[in-house]
Amino acid sequence: MAKIENGRQSADSRSIRTISSSHMDDESSLGSDSEINGFTNDRHTDKYGFIGGAQQYSEESAQDVPPEVLRQREVKWLDMLSNWDKWMVKRHKKVRLRCQKGIPPSLRGRAWLYLSGGKVKREQNRGKFEELDSQAGDPKELDVIEKDLHRQFPFHEMFVSRGGHGQQDLFRVLKAYTLYRPEEGYCQAQAPIAAVLLMHMPAEDAFWGLVQICEKYLPGYYSAGLEAIQLDGEILYALTRRVSPLTYRHLEKHKIEPILYMTEWFMCAFSRTLPWASVLRVWDMFLCDGVKIIFRVGLVLLKCMLGTREKLKTCQGQYETMELLRAIEPRYMQEGFLVREVLDVPVSERDVESEHHVQLKRWRKNRGELHWKSPPRMHGARAIMASEPPSRQDLRQNPTIIVESPLPPPQPTPQLQKGEKKSKKGKKSIKKGSMKITPPPVTEIPNPYNLPSDPKLPLRDPQLPLRDPQLPLRDPQPTLRDSPVQKPLVNDTPLPNTPKDSHLPHQPALNDQPALNHQPVFNDQSLLKESPLEKSRLSLSSTEADHQDTYL
Amino acid sequence: MAGPGKDYNHLFKLLIIGDSNVGKSSLLLRFADNSFSGSYITTIGVDFKIRTVDIDGERVKLQIWDTAGQERFRTITSTYYRNTHGVIIVYDVTNPESFVNVKRWLNEITQNCDNVCKILVGNKNDDPSKKQVDSQDAMRFGESVGVRVFETSAKENINVEEMFMAFTHMVLRTKKQSQSRAEREREREKETVDINSHRHRERRKRGKKCC
Repeated sequence: MAKIENGRQSADSRSIRTISSSHMDDESSLGSDSEINGFTNDRHTDKYGFIGGAQQYSEESAQDVPPEVLRQREVKWLDMLSNWDKWMVKRHKKVRLRCQKGIPPSLRGRAWLYLSGGKVKREQNRGKFEELDSQAGDPKELDVIEKDLHRQFPFHEMFVSRGGHGQQDLFRVLKAYTLYRPEEGYCQAQAPIAAVLLMHMPAEDAFWGLVQICEKYLPGYYSAGLEAIQLDGEILYALTRRVSPLTYRHLEKHKIEPILYMTEWFMCAFSRTLPWASVLRVWDMFLCDGVKIIFRVGLVLLKCMLGTREKLKTCQGQYETMELLRAIEPRYMQEGFLVREVLDVPVSERDVESEHHVQLKRWRKNRGELHWKSPPRMHGARAIMASEPPSRQDLRQNPTIIVESPLPPPQPTPQLQKGEKKSKKGKKSIKKGSMKITPPPVTEIPNPYNLPSDPKLPLRDPQLPLRDPQLPLRDPQPTLRDSPVQKPLVNDTPLPNTPKDSHLPHQPALNDQPALNHQPVFNDQSLLKESPLEKSRLSLSSTEADHQDTYL
Repeated sequence: MAGPGKDYNHLFKLLIIGDSNVGKSSLLLRFADNSFSGSYITTIGVDFKIRTVDIDGERVKLQIWDTAGQERFRTITSTYYRNTHGVIIVYDVTNPESFVNVKRWLNEITQNCDNVCKILVGNKNDDPSKKQVDSQDAMRFGESVGVRVFETSAKENINVEEMFMAFTHMVLRTKKQSQSRAEREREREKETVDINSHRHRERRKRGKKCC
């Protein structure tokens, strides 16, 4: 039974914690970064930036979204982001649905920042991060943080090099948090959360994202005493009873306390447990709907691994069970499967809240008052927005690259895409004039800049995806970004929103020199001109008419 | 726990504790997989591995639990102590503070279980120029608290195997001693009324007796 080689340890995934072989780094993406975590040669980075597919990457673990679907999604997301408050208030279900389908990689960072309310927080606290960033910080906290910098996703190319940009930014974000909430200080489990955010956004945004996760989504998780995570363990346990009684009885029989298997799951929001494609999908849903998603993922994994008699027969004992829970079969974590299952778990926000109430009562009875008074938990983006209503100004997008489209606005194509017919129906429920979301007949977004290998791009058939399908696809997702000079991770790395952060590893000085950037660059302005969406958008957001937004 | 087809004679649960970044996970990896990597992730919650070793012709299966080092995780570590046979306290010989904190870790053990086997391990002992905790000091301290001290390097594979094997011996010996003691007591119980039996039961109920 020497099958300790489980989950993270077996085959691909073993490398997360313990790879000892040789991987190398691409100089171009690491720049002048000093010491590399002991790699030498033979590097291959997966499409998420993990070297050697270190986060359980496999063809099967991730779903492929056809480029044309991604294009459509990008247009929809751009529209949502431009009218965020209205979408959140009036068409929240649609926003949720789109989060469930997966946020397009090119817009994920920005979407996460809007969903979490980090965007609003940032706007309302302009200069705050800079201020914190310039302060020294408590040496004791810094000491602990410094020891952890090289121990977060060490096989992600952003964090692979000691003292590299990724690790530097991680330090800035974590340090800023200890200054922002000195009474809370640093908790080791915050580092992976911050690192995931940093893979998608510049340091200032990642900081506000972290603030929102620590204070709104998972309040108390990282505070001294770790009471909130223990309480959630009890809630998970109680919910297991409802969702999978067989699992519950097994855990009860072998006295397997939740804290033994759910601490890392919940505190790191599954970022160390699942294959990366699934992590991203879970986070899309989590940031939209809050902690119930985390509970549901936990319940799915428990049920899949321990939910049948056959499975239980093979794991009689506490240790055997724990081993099984560390060695979750890849098929249960596969993106498509997991998301479907998560959506099926009959656990609502209200269920979590009422169970919270019950468990809190029990806690008080057995262990007295909680020592740490956490703010109330917010169940997702809408609740957060309602609690701190943003102004229009707060939601404004701040472009860093302003590119005038050299193209004349093309005529909108009359065709409707399949998926769009549905949303037309949805539209009827919306008051006329209050929000004119004309179902965007997703027309082609011509690339105003030629791809090096595709000189005639702007004249292409509107049905074609943005990139020439003839081009060899290294990765079906690299939507608007593929080019020979591209860095492997650009996929999931957004543009920096502040010039200060322009030194981020994967975004070499884009904001200063858009013209030198070989990657196709778009802006909302050009999109507006090309779509019938334009009118409604302009009427909706005259204040935003001047805003120009660019994405990769 | 041990079915008829079990592949071992004894099963022990060992726990590794100590400050953050002293090399707990590295020691475990070195011992269980005989490997080392410069790239780890922080341990959040608990991790574990198994290795079966041969001690005087007996198969001893070791379940080794590796814990998070940061102070605030201590509140949840009490769960990990349950049914533990031995605790390995690790400090970093290049970091005096981690050595100073050993006392607190010893307290932690006392609070969570009685009579558990303990061993003190100074890890990262592979570069004399960086060494800041003197071996003699460590030995003296070990003697004063009745705990054996080992200095190891998971990185260079120095003394790791020896330490784990010596500790396993110790745990096995303790088990045998307590077994024979229990037998003797049972013998005596047959003849006399044992006024201690109630207390014993109480103890077991509390689940604190680890060895």
